[in-house]
Amino acid sequence: MVYLALLLLFIVSYSFYYFGKNRALKIKFTGDQKLASLPDYYGYFLVLVVFLPSLIIWFILLLYKSNFQELYVMSPSLFPDIAQWSDAKFGLIMNKISNLALIVNIPEADLLKGQTSLLNMSSESELIAAKNLASFDNIYGWSIVIVFILLPVILGLSVSRLINQKLNVQPIVEKTIINIIRFSSIVAILVTFGIFFSLIFEAIKFFQYVNFADFFFNTAWNPNRAWVISSGETVDPEILKDAFGWVPLLTGTLLVGSVAMFVAIPLGLASAIYLAEYASSKVRDIAKPIIEILAGIPTVVYGFFAALTLAPMLKNFGDSIGIDISAESALAAGLAMGVMIIPFVSSLSDDVIRSVPNSLRDGSYALGATKSETIKKVVLPAALPGIMGSFLLAVSRAIGETMIVVMAASLRANLTFNPLEPATTITTQIVTALIGDVEFENPKTLVAFALGLSLFVMTLILNIIAITIVRKYREKYD
Amino acid sequence: MNRALLTYNKGNLIMKKSIVSLFALVVSTLFAAESFARDQINIVGSSTVYPYGTVNAQRLGESGFKTPTYNPTGTGGGMKLFCAGVGVEHPDITGASRNMKSKEAKLCLENGVTNVIEVMWANDGITFSHSNTAEDFALTRNDIWKAMSAHVVVDGEVVENPYSSWNEIRDDLPDYKIEVLVAPPSSGTRDAFDGGVMEKGCELPEEMEDDCVLYREDGRIIEMGENDTLIAQKLNEDNQRFGYFGYSYLKDNGDKLKAASVEGVLPSGETIASYEYPMARPLFIYLKADHIGVVPGIQEFAQMMVSDEAIGDNGYLTKIGAAPMVPELISRVKNVTDNLDAMGFSIEACANKEHPLKDAGYAFSGKLCP
Amino acid sequence: MTNIKKRLSAERRFKFYGQLGVFLSLLFVTLLMLKIFTTGSGAFFRTTIEADVFFDPNFMQVDKNSSDKEISRASFEALADSVVNYNFKDLNEDQFIKVREMFTRRFDYQLRDYFLDNKDDYKKTVKLKITASSDLDQIVKGNYPRNVPEAQRKINDYQLSILDELNKQERIGSTFNFWFFTNGDSRDPETAGIWGAIMGSFYALMVCLAFAFPIGLFASVYLEEYTKPGKITDLIEVNINNLAAVPSIVFGLLGLGMLIGVFNMPFQVPLVGGLTLGFMTLPTIIIACRSSLRAVPPSIRHGALALGATKTQTTFHHVVPLALPGTLTGTIIGMAQALGETAPLLMVGMVAFVMEIPGGPLDPATGLPSQIYLWSESAERGFIEKTSAGIMLLLLFLIAMNLTAVLIRRKVEVKW
Repeated sequence: MVYLALLLLFIVSYSFYYFGKNRALKIKFTGDQKLASLPDYYGYFLVLVVFLPSLIIWFILLLYKSNFQELYVMSPSLFPDIAQWSDAKFGLIMNKISNLALIVNIPEADLLKGQTSLLNMSSESELIAAKNLASFDNIYGWSIVIVFILLPVILGLSVSRLINQKLNVQPIVEKTIINIIRFSSIVAILVTFGIFFSLIFEAIKFFQYVNFADFFFNTAWNPNRAWVISSGETVDPEILKDAFGWVPLLTGTLLVGSVAMFVAIPLGLASAIYLAEYASSKVRDIAKPIIEILAGIPTVVYGFFAALTLAPMLKNFGDSIGIDISAESALAAGLAMGVMIIPFVSSLSDDVIRSVPNSLRDGSYALGATKSETIKKVVLPAALPGIMGSFLLAVSRAIGETMIVVMAASLRANLTFNPLEPATTITTQIVTALIGDVEFENPKTLVAFALGLSLFVMTLILNIIAITIVRKYREKYD
Repeated sequence: MNRALLTYNKGNLIMKKSIVSLFALVVSTLFAAESFARDQINIVGSSTVYPYGTVNAQRLGESGFKTPTYNPTGTGGGMKLFCAGVGVEHPDITGASRNMKSKEAKLCLENGVTNVIEVMWANDGITFSHSNTAEDFALTRNDIWKAMSAHVVVDGEVVENPYSSWNEIRDDLPDYKIEVLVAPPSSGTRDAFDGGVMEKGCELPEEMEDDCVLYREDGRIIEMGENDTLIAQKLNEDNQRFGYFGYSYLKDNGDKLKAASVEGVLPSGETIASYEYPMARPLFIYLKADHIGVVPGIQEFAQMMVSDEAIGDNGYLTKIGAAPMVPELISRVKNVTDNLDAMGFSIEACANKEHPLKDAGYAFSGKLCP
Repeated sequence: MTNIKKRLSAERRFKFYGQLGVFLSLLFVTLLMLKIFTTGSGAFFRTTIEADVFFDPNFMQVDKNSSDKEISRASFEALADSVVNYNFKDLNEDQFIKVREMFTRRFDYQLRDYFLDNKDDYKKTVKLKITASSDLDQIVKGNYPRNVPEAQRKINDYQLSILDELNKQERIGSTFNFWFFTNGDSRDPETAGIWGAIMGSFYALMVCLAFAFPIGLFASVYLEEYTKPGKITDLIEVNINNLAAVPSIVFGLLGLGMLIGVFNMPFQVPLVGGLTLGFMTLPTIIIACRSSLRAVPPSIRHGALALGATKTQTTFHHVVPLALPGTLTGTIIGMAQALGETAPLLMVGMVAFVMEIPGGPLDPATGLPSQIYLWSESAERGFIEKTSAGIMLLLLFLIAMNLTAVLIRRKVEVKW
């Protein structure tokens, strides 16, 4: 029913475009005065006139459909004590009637067990209400369809009579379009700033429980101490003091990130140099997309791989040579993350290296340098800002990575710089805080927002630094 | 230039057409969902009950109802969601691996959830397990407490837990490092473990009784997520570690894990059913009576869960680890589900720490509506 | 002269390091793909046991004249049991249970589906290939070790002896597992499928597209063409650029906090998941669109204006169509990223046991990546191959989407 209505609306609108345009063209070619606007515009004008009001009306009808349903169906004649019902009961009965309405007109033999069970548990008045609802929905659906044919057509035809050469629709059409896109940008801006504000809002709630300084400088992370709080209880700040220390999470994040960069930087840079400078275009055309596949693999896969293959392998290796490598070591997660980040470093660096103009290289060759010397002493320094930018981007990606660490790293905070030990990251703790028992008044859940805010700020700073470096030190060669 | 223009024009047209149609398709899928009416049962709660609940849900779905969804939030989390109110947006059933607490009953009362039916459907045992490549362990609850507690008593004094390996606790235990994987505090299994092991095996003086259940924080207790299967997997990787979880997970991983005996008894269907195994405890599901008749299948779900097909000798739930209750409790619960008779359980009573079976003398009676 | 030699060998070494880098990266890709492929390919096949099925009227509630509806309602459990007895004579109770366990639990469904299409086989005996249970399937595929003591095995000794017997009679076979593609999630690995998750992701992506594309496109056009550069627009640009790098989990937080917390939208539905993904993709689309708009040379705009076009005409007739290919590729890439993200789905609850296939964006569902995550955490060994198969499918979709983007870029792009 809905598809039909929308389809009709589109067809009608589309045809009115041509209708309006042709009308305008006719006037243009039969009259001897100039048309106020281009014929196109009359077409668009009619489209707007036909499409927009119908769409708005439809939105309203759809939005308030349930209200209309309730008005029609829930009458005191069927349910005498309806005035005393609680909101919850009203909602439940309405839900039941809605479910019933879908099955009440189906012959009994075709019903599934679940549906017959529902019928058996319904009272007479509920069944009658359901039948009413079913017929209401039917009429509602058809009337919408009819409205969508009649309304646009009537609107379109009546307005089209207004088309004469004096009518200047161009400003109207243009203004409407501009308003539409202005509205969209407001929505976009609201969304982008809204993210920031909602984080701050919830984080502020968190900081009412835990001191700012305590959070950022404390080294103990035991969020379960906050468990004893239920909503409404006053909290002993002493308990919370040692519960939420950010420092071990930061070190864990940096530890895993560093391991990742140890893998990604050499491999990524080496690949970038080779592909940009040495490889033939055939090799480049094949190798570059394949490497970029690494970035496209969902992080769930890396996490799976890190947890089930890498970690046990490392542990067994450690056991065999006598070193204790934890089964949730930062090393396992970091290695997997590093592989994932390789394309970030290699693709971006590759683009940057290629953009260094050949005149620099030619100059170097002219002075007798070998290719590697040219790269090391001329090209790379020239490309350095861009390469630094790509490193920073890769780092911020590593910091924000969630799934790999959730699956492979530990859940226990550990203040260490030893990658063989388990460690947890900021992102892991965000996930842990929000899965399972979620209570928006308890600092145990709210800490997720504080952590998210810290993540947001860290990546913001990294990005700003990256952009500044690139802008400031980039030489314009042309 | 002309060729470019030509491709640009053609591409332009194709682009416009495809965008318009794509947009139409997309918007219409949105409005395809016209009604918010829910006819699918929504279950939340214990991850211990999860394997049983989902198998039962699948069977319900196969018998002509919409298959219920089960979101394993943990017993504590499930209670909070369940007691948040009555209405279509709230869950219909919550699974619990421990009894409802009086605090939670109060929450239900506050939010208008006053008609709740408690269904105690089977027994389960908390196993203290490790990789089956490790040496066998025979432990007492006191041993376990000593390994896990934040404070222990050494030479008459209360000190921070100094033990780093099991043979420091008892000479005849193997020299394995102490490392235990535990569930988060919202887990009903953890609650039951704390009540059944930490409190029972405690040695602290009376004034420090509340600290009996505090775990040590020096890194030997590792908190895992809510998911018991993850604990089971992690135990495979390091055979000196222990973890505790419900019997069904042990059974599922029977080819890789084994349980330590507790006070001489190994967990099994029989020892759990007879409560000979010290860490046996009942499992519950709580039904929202106000939703019965609105969302189809709630009563049928509960009836199926306590039917002979489910928890009989070869029942589909028994096969995956549920230990059946004694016959009089089984007939009691069948009365509950068939006649929707709460048989003395009510939210008001539970909020006052009263429960009809509290004085009935069962092993678990002390832990009802705490 | 040794200097030259040294420099040349340094040159060779340097080149070698570069080759090593590329080689190792390619090696990782290959290894990952191989691992996934070898683990996952098993999921596309399932083991079958050939059995003689006698449609015995004594065990059937329907006959060849029953309507389709009656047949779908009838229970075929008793018939399934009788088939076991028919093929394995003289089993005691314990042995019967063990042999029955070797077949899939949904044995009765297979019989029913067959009978629906072949009612004339009533009272006749046919040879049918019945799907084996997951444990048996895994043993046959070699994923479970056979030579360990019985307690460490999922298949006991008696079942192994029956398996060997069946093997000798050549009754163990394998067939393509199209259930993987048509079924939703299940507690039995042999019948678990990914269709539910695919539909869940589909609805979520549709919602994401419907939200992010028009708003992103229009907003970019407005910000790029109609606003004057200044402090405010700079601030907006920095904010949007930063958002593109913000980890996906922060968007999940937003979805949880705002959509579910403030707007009280339902939990677990693709609508909320899709909107959250939309928030995440919006910055990507805006950035792609803006850079495409910027890439359109001013000469186009000037030319149109010189001919008397208004700003709106210039923008929508000339500039936007030229920027559309770049915008579309950016959108497709953004969609591909959204498809692979698990964290936002986790936050809004699209990660529970959902067996029913969602019919619309408001039905509870899981998404493709979160289903993979769920299966990877499952205890049953049979789910390991399903996880890898799910990953293969996900990768396939992603590669297809990225290829489409690249093709569009190549075909419709105009080089200045």
